Amino acid sequence: MDSITVRHLRDSAALMPVGDHSPVEEFYRRLFELAPEVRPLFNREIGRQAKKLSEMLAWVIAHLEQPDELATELRKLGARHGGYGVEINQYAPVGSALIWMFQRTLGDRFTPEMEEAWLEAYAFISCEMERGFREEAPEG
Amino acid sequence: MALNTAAVNYHLDQALSSPLFRKAERQSRFLRFVVDVALQSPEATIKEFDIAVAVYDRRPDYDPRTDPIVRVEAARLRARLREYYAVTPSVRVRIDLPKGGYLPLFISIEEAPEQMASGLSILVPPFRSLSPDPRDQNFCDGLTEEVVHKLAKDRRLRVITQSAAAWLEQSGGSKARFLLEASVRQAGAEIRLTLHLMEVTGGGSTRLSNIYQSTINDLFATQERLAEEIRDDITAALHLDETGSGSIN
Repeated sequence: MDSITVRHLRDSAALMPVGDHSPVEEFYRRLFELAPEVRPLFNREIGRQAKKLSEMLAWVIAHLEQPDELATELRKLGARHGGYGVEINQYAPVGSALIWMFQRTLGDRFTPEMEEAWLEAYAFISCEMERGFREEAPEG
Repeated sequence: MALNTAAVNYHLDQALSSPLFRKAERQSRFLRFVVDVALQSPEATIKEFDIAVAVYDRRPDYDPRTDPIVRVEAARLRARLREYYAVTPSVRVRIDLPKGGYLPLFISIEEAPEQMASGLSILVPPFRSLSPDPRDQNFCDGLTEEVVHKLAKDRRLRVITQSAAAWLEQSGGSKARFLLEASVRQAGAEIRLTLHLMEVTGGGSTRLSNIYQSTINDLFATQERLAEEIRDDITAALHLDETGSGSIN
């Protein structure tokens, strides 16, 4: 990711409410609307799940300039998710719900450039996670 | 060598049967859908809505503002294609899905070295606004995008934007053979655009120099009309309209 993309990611993350996980809880509600079949894959207590995802996003934002470290951790995460039964097709509604969460929370402050940056970041995150799963369970 | 439908379809089948695509069923459908449309009609416009309905089973009331699944998947598909070509360097055909749209480009690897070394590659930096009002640069940026879009639809041309040129520079890729430069003067609704197409390798001659005048009534319509005129003039200057394969002598 180039420096402009990193700046847009950080600027948008900085606009999100501090210490408030409700936008991420809304993300899960939206995800389950878009893909009800993924609901059983997640912890029943969405508040805890939202806190974990907020922490993961904050970690990603903090490590944007260390792509190798980021990729290594994302692959480990992807391998674990594969073990929980997550399928490749399910990454799409997650991305859609993520962009929707920023749009809904930030309104007009979420610029097209910020959206473009998050699309690129999510493509990177999800592709590294998929790669981790493939490496863990290679096909014959 | 012109790419034919059979060659593209063969390559697509190869790609979709690879481990990278085999389990990515929706992205495989996405890629097949846009490739089919492009093969049937190279000038087609593919909308986010079309993909949402055809590939992601969205209903006719689908609203891309509240469900950006196609934009998400397009970004992921571009990343997957990059990874596929990185691990499959021996392919003879390459499918690219340029940002800003959903119409794929088909590139024959056999003709790529010729294009890159001496063929019809054009660098298009952003057109410059000579107006003191910084807002007029927006018109120039939009017009640059429109011209790039129209030129890129001609598969005999390799159109390089400024950001792509920076990437090529870093990666040691070859430079463009032609440079398209334009500046715009604006007075109220009247605009005057001066354009030069120069051959920057082998002597640096000017292949086209033109002035275009227009009145902005509808911004997008003006940009589109100007971009079409510019595309047609470049096509003529490079004799693409005469030979069908381009004459660069």
